[in-house]
Amino acid sequence: MDVANLASQLNVGVILPEGIVILTLLTVLIVDIIRGRAANAITPYIAIGGLSASLAALCLQWNIANPVSFLGSFNGDPLSVVFRAIVVLSAAFTILMSIRYVERSGTSLGEFITILLTATLGGMFLCGASELVMIFVALETLSISSYLLTGYMKRDSRSNEAALKYLLIGASSSALFLYGVSLLYGLSGGETQLGAIAANLTAGGQSLGLIMALVFVIAGVAFKISAVPFHQWTPDVYEGSPTPVVAFLSVGSKTAGFALAVRLLVVVFPLLADEWHFVFTVLAMLSMILGNMVALAQTSMKRLLAYSSIGQAGFVMIGLIAGTEVGYASMIFYLLVYLFMNLGGFACVILFSLRTGTDQISEYSGLYHKDPLITLCLSLCLLSLGGIPPLAGFFGKIYLFWAGWQAGLYPLVLVGLVTSVISIYYYIRVVKMMVVREPQEMSDAVKNYPKVSWDAPGLKPLQVGLVISVVATTLVGVASNPVFTLAIDSVENSPALSASLAKAKEKSAIAVLPKDSPSLEVTKVASAKL
Amino acid sequence: MNLAEGVQLVSFIILTVMMLGAALAVVLSPNIVYSAFLLGGVFSAMAGLYLLLNASFVAAAQILVYVGAINVLILFAIMLVNKREDFAPVKYAWTRKIVTAAVCGGLFLLLGTTIITTPWAIDSTAAAGDEAIYILGEHFFTDFLLPFELVSVLLLMALIGAIVLARRDIIPDSSNVVGQDDLKLPEKPRELVSAGADGESS
Amino acid sequence: MNSGIDLQGTFINSLQDLGLPPGISKLFWMPLPMILMVIGATVGLLVLVWLERKISAAAQQRVGPEYAGPQGSLQAAVDGLKLIFKEDIIPAKADSALFTIGPILVILPVFISYLVVPFGQNLIISDVGLGIFLWIALSSVQPIGLLMSGYASNNKYALLGGLRAAAQSISYEIPLALAVLAVVMMSNSMSTIDIVQQQSGYGILGWNVWRQPVGFVIFWIAALAECERLPFDLPEAEEELVAGYQTEYSGMKFALFYIASYVNLLLSAIMVAVLYLGGWESPIPLDRLAGWLGQPETNPILQVITASMGILMTLFKTYLLVFLAILMRWTLPRVRIDQLLDLGWKFLLPVALVNLLVTAALKISLPFAFGG
Repeated sequence: MDVANLASQLNVGVILPEGIVILTLLTVLIVDIIRGRAANAITPYIAIGGLSASLAALCLQWNIANPVSFLGSFNGDPLSVVFRAIVVLSAAFTILMSIRYVERSGTSLGEFITILLTATLGGMFLCGASELVMIFVALETLSISSYLLTGYMKRDSRSNEAALKYLLIGASSSALFLYGVSLLYGLSGGETQLGAIAANLTAGGQSLGLIMALVFVIAGVAFKISAVPFHQWTPDVYEGSPTPVVAFLSVGSKTAGFALAVRLLVVVFPLLADEWHFVFTVLAMLSMILGNMVALAQTSMKRLLAYSSIGQAGFVMIGLIAGTEVGYASMIFYLLVYLFMNLGGFACVILFSLRTGTDQISEYSGLYHKDPLITLCLSLCLLSLGGIPPLAGFFGKIYLFWAGWQAGLYPLVLVGLVTSVISIYYYIRVVKMMVVREPQEMSDAVKNYPKVSWDAPGLKPLQVGLVISVVATTLVGVASNPVFTLAIDSVENSPALSASLAKAKEKSAIAVLPKDSPSLEVTKVASAKL
Repeated sequence: MNLAEGVQLVSFIILTVMMLGAALAVVLSPNIVYSAFLLGGVFSAMAGLYLLLNASFVAAAQILVYVGAINVLILFAIMLVNKREDFAPVKYAWTRKIVTAAVCGGLFLLLGTTIITTPWAIDSTAAAGDEAIYILGEHFFTDFLLPFELVSVLLLMALIGAIVLARRDIIPDSSNVVGQDDLKLPEKPRELVSAGADGESS
Repeated sequence: MNSGIDLQGTFINSLQDLGLPPGISKLFWMPLPMILMVIGATVGLLVLVWLERKISAAAQQRVGPEYAGPQGSLQAAVDGLKLIFKEDIIPAKADSALFTIGPILVILPVFISYLVVPFGQNLIISDVGLGIFLWIALSSVQPIGLLMSGYASNNKYALLGGLRAAAQSISYEIPLALAVLAVVMMSNSMSTIDIVQQQSGYGILGWNVWRQPVGFVIFWIAALAECERLPFDLPEAEEELVAGYQTEYSGMKFALFYIASYVNLLLSAIMVAVLYLGGWESPIPLDRLAGWLGQPETNPILQVITASMGILMTLFKTYLLVFLAILMRWTLPRVRIDQLLDLGWKFLLPVALVNLLVTAALKISLPFAFGG
């Protein structure tokens, strides 16, 4: 059998984007070895070029005829394409904002980018993996590279602490996940393909073993998306690790976690749909409440963003629990929006800490007088995170709440509304501190603020990343409709979800129809505001 | 019961007792070095169980990887950093132990019930025995090809990560302008002082 | 292929003829080869120690042992007797349990590995499919015993020796396994019997050493390092570490270490013979010779001759390699620990990987010569 024949049989073309990432990774590694320190000037751009190429390849993969490749190990349906694109984008932005940061910290850039690309690769494969072994290997690729990235600043004891905590908690959650997955393997009579498992499980009916499997799997997934009882690692890890890494963890890694949740839970556990919906409702409520409440009391910007990311994950879960077409689509939409606003926020935090060496919230006071650009960008991103119209975050939340309301998740949506009002408070607090303060109230850090200049090596890409994400944050809000249609398309064209969608439709037909109209009003009001 | 079954039963009992005993001792032993050695015992007993299940390749791989590599590395790490330090006794330490025991016992009961009550889809085909290697190989290059290849990337990255963690960094000096040449070296040169002097004196 | 002599079948049949049930008669058979192999290994060890002393003496222009037995050939046995009667001392501050288990863990895997040593078509305790892999797996257990005795001695030299032993054995296991993998790839099997058979038929020309010259060298270096033989005997380097992990040991426990190291050397030499020098095959193919003389394969006399030639050839090759190892001991200086690790990780490992790759390529392109 020749290679071309084999490739066509395995349908290798589907993983072309991943292949490009692997090639980029190797190129970066080799260039870094050959050129030594001088390579720092080109490796980030090679990586960004590779990631853009991968993104382009992903666009070409949209809705291809035969998405199943490698005998069912990997599924390249539009759903996975969207999630993979989000992961790739987050990695590209992370690299843009990490160049200066890593150079300033005196660690080597080549290895940093290599490990980050490996994490991206793991995340991408996780988004499309439709087989247990593949899921686990991709999950471990993502996790192990994340641990390494977290501990990358090894002379910084906080980074070491973060890495150790992340490693220990992550390893135990991986073990739990693996245990659950092995139960699935046993219950289905030795199947590893998700579809086959689901088919065999339906034949077997409900059992205690299946519930245990669900519990363990949820524990593993909830760790990745840092939903509340499994969130303890998040603040410490976010505070200690290098800021660009935090940016990637909060967006890329989380997106991959959500993709895993959608694929695994929706495909494998239709039998226990009510149970896992209930568990996730609890997780989402706890995440929203605890994340947003504790964020109120934070004094460090990174910790604030950590807790806010916990709360945001709670919002995203609403879409997952709704289980309707609109639910999944709004989840994808929100993740995309979250990518831009969160990464924009992190870019500002990185810039500020590069210039002043601190990330205390109180040190931001009066920044407007010294650096209007950062102030503007950070304000926009934070307001968008809080959900102030007409920024993208507002529309993301509207779609999520609308989907949740339609699916009859009233308590969840109410909690979401209340907590997002709370979240607006702490986001605006930061904005107020930066903008409103008089010049004499400036913090010491801002008083000693260096002259704003973008000439230092590595700052230009950071600026580019910042501007792009801020522009996207504003524009996606205005142009939310086409993006949302895209998300709906991706959900509609993914056969993996069709079974659960049909089921959700039946349910909503019975329960929600009469209450459908008021929620539509909400969106009409929203679009009228535009 | 014929001879083979008897031997199998007895070895199963011995291996199980050995494994459970060693596993409990790993957790309960106050001496971390003992725990590490006993962990090797747990791994070996598990390899024995694999043998009883007719999975000889997995058993040998278990010995090679877990006992021969992982356990040795754990011991290595413990012995390189082993500081004998007396910790101050914690008040009410026994309550923690009781709570831990209760949680573990509860988990054990739960899993035990799960195993007993769940209708497992048991495969009735005989174990492959020595043929297992060929079957494994076939799987690696057919339906598990993608994970198999992804593992290679994972291992490469783990290798790089280990080197990053283990190597000495360049420490950025305050004299950044002067020491341009220093930065070209991947790491700080070792101090070669006194090597010559020693040679002369001895 | 000549199936050789079926000792097991004959023995069990004769017991059954005496009126024993088949299960019981098999039970009687089972320990026999094991006991035989343990005795064989021990006798081999005695010979080996004697050889080492004599050859070392010759290398240094001395006479060596000469009073105990003819040419001092009983010297090793007498030494063993002395060790048995020596007082068994456990240092007061040592950890007595680990101190005792350590040497046992060192010696046990070596003897178990003899399970897969073949002396002829049927002259093997157990032709498990894993064969050579079992040996590699078992040899990886040894460092635990070394670490254990190093730690339990409560002596810094012993601990350093134990740590060095573990580091060395982990580093050299990888090139060793990779070299073996190339051979396994050519013979499509991990069973030692199959590996030898794949080399048979063309006499000396068919041996793997011609097809795997690089693998042979890598394997030999790595095997010497695993046995802690002299260019690599850092764990017990007497100028630096007194005697490494053996420092605190005496009497029978010391003897266990001593036995383990020599039996391990013997085992490694046998494995080199099996993997690269055609195992029990003689340089001139006996089967063909018999064919030309017009003897059928079933001729009992011929079978006895082939079997004894097989054992003789294996032993001959083994002791030739042992001789080489002893000569190396007195020719080469000891490497430093950093040189040792550099050699293992920066030289042997890449070379072994390339060797594996080249073997795979050759296997595809020249299937007739590389066992396609």
